[in-house]
Order: sequence, then C-alpha cells, then structure tokens
Amino acid sequence: MTPAQDKQANRRDFMKTAIVAIGGIIGGAIGIPAIPYIIGPAQQKDNEDWIRLGAVSKVELNVPTLFKTTLETQTGWVSSEEEFSVYVLTENGQDFSVMSNICTHLGCRVRWIPDQDGFFCPCHNATFAKDGSVVDGPPPRPLDQFEYKVEDGVIFVKRG
Amino acid sequence: MGANIGNWLDERFGWRSVWEAIFLRKIPHVNWFYTLGSATLFVAMTQGITGILLTMYYVPDPARAYDSVVYITTQLPMGWFIRGLHHWGASAMVVLTVAHLLRVFFLGAYKYPREVTWITGVFLLLVVIGFGFTGYLLPWDQRAYWATTVGTRIIGVAPGIGEWLLRVARGGSELSAVTLARFFGTHVWILPAALLTLIGVHLYLVIRIGISAVPEKDE
Repeated sequence: MTPAQDKQANRRDFMKTAIVAIGGIIGGAIGIPAIPYIIGPAQQKDNEDWIRLGAVSKVELNVPTLFKTTLETQTGWVSSEEEFSVYVLTENGQDFSVMSNICTHLGCRVRWIPDQDGFFCPCHNATFAKDGSVVDGPPPRPLDQFEYKVEDGVIFVKRG
Repeated sequence: MGANIGNWLDERFGWRSVWEAIFLRKIPHVNWFYTLGSATLFVAMTQGITGILLTMYYVPDPARAYDSVVYITTQLPMGWFIRGLHHWGASAMVVLTVAHLLRVFFLGAYKYPREVTWITGVFLLLVVIGFGFTGYLLPWDQRAYWATTVGTRIIGVAPGIGEWLLRVARGGSELSAVTLARFFGTHVWILPAALLTLIGVHLYLVIRIGISAVPEKDE
C-alpha cells in the first residue's frame, strides 16, 4: 500500500467514525427525550388532595349520611367536573367511616335504604350492611373506605 | 459467523449493491456548500420524528388545541424540547431549502441533465413553505389565528377565482374549526406524502445522475 492509499484509507475511517458519532449524538438527542415524553403522563401521580365534604354535625348517629360534592379533575389538557358522593357513618360522633357509594362488583352507585337498613345496588341486587360489608349478591369485597380527617368541625376525605 | 449471516442475507436482499450505489458512489471534488441538500434532508427527518411525537398529544380542535399545546410545553417531561425542536426546525427547513436552492442556482447545477431534479426541488420548496404555513396555525393562539387570517386573505386577492380559493383554504368564509382541522390534515398527511414522493424522485435522480462538479472559470 502506497502512503497515499494509506492516507486515503485513514481519511475514510475517520469519516465513518465521525458520521456514526455525530449520527449517534443526534439520534440520542431526540431519542432519549422521546422516552420521558411518551411515558410522562403514565408517571404522573393522580390527584391526591383532601376533598371537603361538609360539617361533621350533619352526620347522624348510626345512620349512613350522604355527602355530595363536585370534583374538578384535570386529565391532560381537559378539566372536567364530576359528581362525588360518599356515605359517612359514625357510632359515637368521634370515629367515622367514610364509604364509597360505588358498588365493588361492577361500579354502579349504591343507595342507602333506611327501611331495609342496608345499601342497595340496583344493577345486580347486591346489598351491603350499614358498615359496608357484603350481605348479599355478587360484590367481591365490602364498600371501599376513604381516609378522612376532621378539622374545625369539617370532615375531609382523601382523594385517590 | 456474522459475515456468513451477512452474506446469506445479501444473497437474498442484494443490499450491498444498493448500499454501494447510494453511499459509495463517486463524487467530484466539491465544497461544503454541497452539504446543504443533505442538511435539509436530515432536518426534514427530525421534523418528521418530532412531528409524530407531537401528534401523540396535540388535538386539532379550537376548544382544545391551545390547551394541548400548553400541556405539551409546560406539563410533559421534555415536551418543551420536542416542540422546540419542531418549532426551530421549521425555520431551519425554510432557510436550508432556500440556501440549497441558491447553491444549485449559482453553481449552475440545474442544467442538463439535472432539470428534473431542479423541478422536483422547486416543488419541494413549495411543500416546505406549505408545511410552514399550515403548521403556523396549529397552536391556535392569537399569532396563529391572525397570521392565517392574513395569509388566507392573500389567496383571496387572486383575480377571478380568489374568493372561491379563499373559501376552499378556510373551509368556509371565516377561520373556524373546519380551517384548523383541514390545516392539520394537510400538515400531517397530504404534505408529508407529497414530501416523501418528491424526495424519492429527487434523491433517485441525484444518485442516478450524480452531483455536478464546481464549474471551472471558463465553463
């Protein structure tokens, strides 16, 4: 190999390496940010704030009391309002149990029927006891309970 | 082992001759201005990739378009970066395409036998400008809205059919949801299809004919 050819070969190798390196940098500069960009929304924590229900004094002793409120939810670039209802039960006015009104079977809304002393789900005739435990029907578990706190006579539940 | 697999595949694909035709072709001794076409091509590729990424979140509806753009820019991790690349890349596309055109013009590279390459190139410039024009509306902010109001009004001054062309461009007499949707459709489907087709012809001709040398003083 003459010196000229040798130089030529080196130049070619250099260009190859340079192209691969620069291409790799450009590819990485777009490819790497693309990953958090795509999976970002999945990583975001769902809203976890306290929802104000109302005055504790409204809760009757031994009767599940319905609290209704509207929630503002922000999903992506859309903010929407949804109805949010829970039943609050207390036996001593001190300790509460805050139950979801969503049936654990398929997500229908349950309703407290005072005459039958139970929650009734209209979809598949499920009944839950006052404390949320399943009495009858297909639900796999008792009504979901919310974490709550009482501040200055107002009860809050934790979203999520 | 690796070489064997490579040979086995090449027997079936014949990609080595394709590779040689594209990347190992002989080129005359030229200068850096001859890289402008490749630069345009690579920016076009990043525009394609970042554009595809943007469509994962962008919504072409007047009620949501601006909010989705704000979401991309402020809420998504690296969203500002992807959108920024697409935004600045758009300007780079126009600058590079024009610079490439000027190089070809001043070095006389459009002459026989490269006339068709030149003509497809001119159409490619129009496509790039079309991308810029339609893309400018998509953020649906004040600047986008009024720029497109003015831009489409310019179509309206064409003699005779101007009013009708204006209505076609806007999808009605006013800028509306229809305008936004058709600009989006044009930006992400019609123009990319045109761009790919024209680039295919353009590059085929560049490879088939080869690039021109820098003209000599007495040429």
